[in-house]
Amino acid sequence: MSAEHATAKSASFFNNPRNRALIYQALLLFGLGFFFYSIVSNALANMEARGIKSGFGFLFTASGFDILMSLVPYDATSTYGRTFLVGLLNTILVSIIGIILATLLGFVMGVAYFSNNWLVKRLSVVYVEIFRNIPLLLQVFFWYFAVLAALPSARESMAIGEVIFLNVRGLFLPDLIGESGSSIVYASIGVAVVAIYMMRRWAKKRQDDTGEQFPILWVGLGIFFGLPLLTALVTGLPFYWEFPELKGFNFRGGITVIPELMALTIALAVYTGAFIAEAVRAGVQSVPHGQTEAARSLGLKESRIMSLIIVPQAMRVIVPLLNSEYQSLVKNSTLATAIGYPDLFTVFVGTSLNQTGQAIEIVFMTMAVYFAINMTISFGMNRFNSAVALVERK
Amino acid sequence: MKKFIPKEAQPAPVETTGIIGWTRENLFSSIPNSIATILILGFLASFLPGVINWIIIDANWSGSTQADCTNDDGACWVFVSAWMQQFIYGSYTDSEIWRINLGLILLGAVIAAPYFLPKHLRNKLGVPMFLLYPFFCAALLDGRLFGLEFVSTDLWGGFSLNIFLAAASIIIAFPLSFLWALGRRSEMPFIRSVCVLLIEFFRGVPVLALFFMGSVMLPLFFPEGTNIDKLLRVWIVLILFMSGYMAEVFRGGFQAIPQGQYEAADSLGLSYWQKTLLIIFPQVIKVSMPNILATFIMLFKNTTFLLIIGIFEILSTTQTALANSSWLGGHAPEGYLFVALVFWVCCFGMSMISANIERKLDTSHRN
Repeated sequence: MSAEHATAKSASFFNNPRNRALIYQALLLFGLGFFFYSIVSNALANMEARGIKSGFGFLFTASGFDILMSLVPYDATSTYGRTFLVGLLNTILVSIIGIILATLLGFVMGVAYFSNNWLVKRLSVVYVEIFRNIPLLLQVFFWYFAVLAALPSARESMAIGEVIFLNVRGLFLPDLIGESGSSIVYASIGVAVVAIYMMRRWAKKRQDDTGEQFPILWVGLGIFFGLPLLTALVTGLPFYWEFPELKGFNFRGGITVIPELMALTIALAVYTGAFIAEAVRAGVQSVPHGQTEAARSLGLKESRIMSLIIVPQAMRVIVPLLNSEYQSLVKNSTLATAIGYPDLFTVFVGTSLNQTGQAIEIVFMTMAVYFAINMTISFGMNRFNSAVALVERK
Repeated sequence: MKKFIPKEAQPAPVETTGIIGWTRENLFSSIPNSIATILILGFLASFLPGVINWIIIDANWSGSTQADCTNDDGACWVFVSAWMQQFIYGSYTDSEIWRINLGLILLGAVIAAPYFLPKHLRNKLGVPMFLLYPFFCAALLDGRLFGLEFVSTDLWGGFSLNIFLAAASIIIAFPLSFLWALGRRSEMPFIRSVCVLLIEFFRGVPVLALFFMGSVMLPLFFPEGTNIDKLLRVWIVLILFMSGYMAEVFRGGFQAIPQGQYEAADSLGLSYWQKTLLIIFPQVIKVSMPNILATFIMLFKNTTFLLIIGIFEILSTTQTALANSSWLGGHAPEGYLFVALVFWVCCFGMSMISANIERKLDTSHRN
């Protein structure tokens, strides 16, 4: 006590770490305060000079422009708030499709690296090294301007069984439309999901108690597809297919996937897939070889070794990497603006900002949205990560 | 008594050695494997000859205008060679292109300097050269400071601009991100939270949004009438973006340094900056090098995003060339392949270097 007192007294004021810390932080606070004060006052003065009204009132005025593709009804009389919603949904759409495709591609290619087939292994290496090292924007342009633009016209479109059409205007798929009574079938999907969850818990408990395994995957798939199918049959199939048909110069009906969406998702999936394949490879390599040998000496089949021993341990390395890859996929989806896919960035930071001039509000709203999406991904992946993380002995 | 005469050792069965053995083991070891092999070979056979024909055999190599591309079944490489100067140097004044070349050579020299400088000069000369390079190079390309002909930044472009922007950004981001990473580890709560906010902001926001912020919001933040060059704003944004990512790389590096190193430095009586710069920094750099290179590759690829805000980097030049009225006719595949090749060579080369460093640093024994 007294010694501490003595040092505090003998050291000069500036050599006391606590005083120094206070001074440094006060300086930083002062500097930041001045910085923000000056940019805010400048911004206010500039906006007044240019006649820009600040505030979020613009969200309730009519936008006056149309959007190429929207998941909710939208036309030129809709408000900027609606524009924001349309863009947000389009961004989420491209992100979800991109993440699913990239994960599939990445896992297939990552596991292919460990194939004992020389050609398959080379294919994986070549895929990763080519697509990882070429700028994403170039890949987007390549798919959009060089591949999809070279597809045949609507009249000569490629067709699969006269129900799926692919041409320069996009991909045309049949649409399943529900009639009255279809809501029971949708509800049964929800019931199936709950049933699968319950079954998993029961199977896990049974395995813990008795050591017997239960074929979760097959029974789960059976419930997921069987239950809605059964309900549909019982309610008398309240659905009909709407097929795309050639009318004039273009197809009508069904689901239309515009080429912008196709090019963007293909490019995002192929690019991110290469990074995910790398992550999977790193994850599998991080599992010590002794694990495989131990599993073999226990007499497990090669396929069981991969799924029961290697993959669960590799996931600990893969999941954190997947988290950052998914986040960068969402951030990279802003490249939509280069080919005109109407995502949040294109319609909001692009068109809306040009029309209203409210740069600060719009840019901040957009940034906040991407932040929120990434936080959601991060939260979900962290939950997943704690599920696969190494559980130490208690 | 019978004598035991061992038989001559038999040669290995023919199906387990040589090409046949290799093929059996690596391509046809099981039925699924054989199917995969046949599928891939079939795909390659149907696809490769056409591509090779288009790229090399039927391609048009010589000439200077579109009329020289007589063979429609082959690539028109004349398009690339005719636009080559634009692809590399942008619209930079013809007679002054030596300045860009000089800048590129200097960049190589700055990177190679640590290997050639005598040991006692390495830090004293190498580090200032490295840190001053971006400013010197900007002044050289601009020209006014050295009394050369002034070349406006509107004319800068092409692949050299991608290289300069990426290099100039990472060089400035180096000290900045190191400070941010230090701040994030600091015990002073206010400094720490400011650094965390900075890092998370620049990592969490799409880089395109940052570019837009630089081009539409930044002008609002300065007093009326101040006009900051577009390229300078882009440079600032790239530095901040890069610093966010590098700070996280450095954080990983800091975590790899054993606590004993800090304690040993403290017990020697070193000051905070002596400890940080002489003991910790060299070790952090060593373990972070592969990740720094990976981050740089990302930044380098992302310089193509500048197309969207109207900077004439190589991809933007390609788009301009493709839209040129005397080159209409779908040269998109040729143009994109060329740009892809240029980037691929650079990025693949850097990732090889990075893997090499990692292998050298990796002293763990793995099977």
